Amino acid sequence: MLERRTQRIQPYLLLVPSLLILTVFLLFPLLWNVYLSVHNVSLSTILRDWKYVGPNNYLSLLTDPGFHSSLKVSILFVGGSVTLQFFLGLVLAVVLNQQIRGSNTLRALFIIPWTVSAVITGFSFKFIFNDSFGILNYGLEQMGLNPVSWLSDPSMVLWTIVIANMWHGTPFTMLFLTAGLFSISPVVYEAALIDGATKTKSFFHITLPMLKPFILINLILITMWSVNFFDLILVMTNGGPLFASTTASLYMYRQAFEFGLLSKGSVVGLFLIGVNLVLAYSYLKLFRKDGTEVEVARV
Amino acid sequence: MTKFDPFGKYFSAIQNDSFGFVSQNFKLILICGLVLSILAAASLTPFMTAQSQQGKQVTLTAIVAEPKDRWDTLFANALVKLREKHPDMTINIDSRILPYADTRKQILTSMAGKTPIDIVSVDQIWLGEFAEAGFLSDLSSLAHAWNRSSEWYKTNWDGGIYNDKVYGIWAWTDVRSMWYWKDLLNQTGVNPDSLKTWNGYLASAKKMEAALKGNGTQAMHLVGASHSPDMWYPYLWMLGGKIVDQRSGHPQKGTYWFPTYNSTEGVKALQFLKDQVKAGIKPQIDHFWGQEFADKKFAVMLEGSWLLGHFPPDEWKGLDQRIGMIPAFPVPKEGDTSATMMGGWMLSIPETSTNRDLAWELLTIMVQPDVLAPVLEKYGYLPTQKPIGEGAYSAQLNATIPYYKEMISMIGIGHSRPSIPEYPQIADNIRQAIDEVYLGIKEPKQALDDAAKKSAQVLGWS
Repeated sequence: MLERRTQRIQPYLLLVPSLLILTVFLLFPLLWNVYLSVHNVSLSTILRDWKYVGPNNYLSLLTDPGFHSSLKVSILFVGGSVTLQFFLGLVLAVVLNQQIRGSNTLRALFIIPWTVSAVITGFSFKFIFNDSFGILNYGLEQMGLNPVSWLSDPSMVLWTIVIANMWHGTPFTMLFLTAGLFSISPVVYEAALIDGATKTKSFFHITLPMLKPFILINLILITMWSVNFFDLILVMTNGGPLFASTTASLYMYRQAFEFGLLSKGSVVGLFLIGVNLVLAYSYLKLFRKDGTEVEVARV
Repeated sequence: MTKFDPFGKYFSAIQNDSFGFVSQNFKLILICGLVLSILAAASLTPFMTAQSQQGKQVTLTAIVAEPKDRWDTLFANALVKLREKHPDMTINIDSRILPYADTRKQILTSMAGKTPIDIVSVDQIWLGEFAEAGFLSDLSSLAHAWNRSSEWYKTNWDGGIYNDKVYGIWAWTDVRSMWYWKDLLNQTGVNPDSLKTWNGYLASAKKMEAALKGNGTQAMHLVGASHSPDMWYPYLWMLGGKIVDQRSGHPQKGTYWFPTYNSTEGVKALQFLKDQVKAGIKPQIDHFWGQEFADKKFAVMLEGSWLLGHFPPDEWKGLDQRIGMIPAFPVPKEGDTSATMMGGWMLSIPETSTNRDLAWELLTIMVQPDVLAPVLEKYGYLPTQKPIGEGAYSAQLNATIPYYKEMISMIGIGHSRPSIPEYPQIADNIRQAIDEVYLGIKEPKQALDDAAKKSAQVLGWS
């Protein structure tokens, strides 16, 4: 009887270390952020009394034009990054999944950008896109074209960063979807071929539907990463010029660590957590409608 | 429909295998535990014995900003003297040397977490923020007893004061001045003297840009990076303007700082930046702190005295034959007094220091002329104290550092930025105004008025 009971409890006991780690490193900071967000804490007051301000920080964020502008930038950045990363990653995964020579080597080469840290990627692209001395503008000038203000034109800068982010993030999508493609049995394609399906038809009626669980998780991940992403932007432009590349995550970082407005930073951070949760839930909802829940569970 | 149960397999495996494994190998696990405990105890014993034998062992901890070499040299030289004064103690320094931005972050997080740190390097603009937060020790009484304040240049000593209390000792400084390549000016037919006035500077820019087109060198450098306000302030100051000024009637604080940079002087100063853009000078959003000048990417550059560090010290002798230096920012008209901005590093003792007296002793040794002067000479930094700047040490520095005398002469026209907690946000507002003017979005007056409105809000005026 006792042994049975112990056996029943034991798995939960074994979960305790993981739960403890999650509590210390995830739950506690989250609750701490909530606590900070309802107080007025800045670096100047951190060692003194923390004044309770209730929802004031949340309300002032709603009327903060800097935050509104950063949200707009975030929407464009996430939209652009996810779209480009996903479609390019999908194309690469499908192309390299064909029986072509050197596909494994190419796959390994394509993964390199993902293994490079975002900071190094940022610095590299900063030099490539430098308005005065960048290799890209040098090339354009050599071809007799006018140089482009890649990083100093507010209407251009965000797309320049999206390109850099695409270079950095696409390999993950490629790798993830390649794993999905490997899980599709070749027999399915052979059967389709016998039934007269063309490659295009196979792609749309076999590959895509069977890849859906992988696509879903990939989209959730790259969207969340793009929402939270800021190191590459920090290095490339520090949010400039004129805040044209200040995403909400970078706005949060600057408020908290550059200006020392910890409560304001916390509110933005909590807002971003909310955005991530809503996005993840929306994706799941969207795919459940298509009846892919089972496959998602398997993935 | 398959039920999503990620734990099911693992739990059953654990129930079947792990419990059995633990019970069957209980003795083995117990022995391993004992062995590990004995090993841990054995490894700790010598350390504990050493601790008790050397009861007066003190390790001073420091957080300082890169480059590392300068601190290594300075700490090593000062430590020798400190140890001589305390032969009964074993004193060591454990320093963490970090990049500029990380230094501020690390100091802030350490102080907020009450980590004991004995010495920190503080950029002059951080002082007010740190002091206001209660992160730094009040050194007023120690400084008073030390009695060396009159040996500092006034601006430099005042830079370490916040709310009438001393929180930092300014160790060395830097000034921004105008540097030019002599051969490029010759080649383009521009007289260096013409660079001294606003109109001359703009006319020279046009002339040089046309002459240098296509050879990979640009005429003039104009900062468009995050520190662009730093290069605008000298124009504001030389016209008599101020960034902020004390004003009464503050809703909470009675008398407090109010943004005054949108004054007539400020607008005129920003107009000059606008005129530079109109003259074809392109604001540079990337900044390489003088490397771009050393690489001859620009013929003329307004940059700090650290620019010399981009030339190898063995080239310093005779460098004045190749590059010229005007110890001033361009002025509105001939005869006007120029201005410059001074930066540099202060040494402070955090409130969390557990060795405050010893840290103060180390700090005072580090700024002793005989300890500090060789470091300034090696790295080309400018002194903040008269005995080094003008006294016996100046001859050696003058012989080693190109244009040393000219740079020292700029200390007299040097200004420092306000060290108030809200400064980073105010600088961000000014930066926005400058960007708006660069990009032609707003006129200087409108841009500065809008920025000042935001700064007033930041300072709690509305």
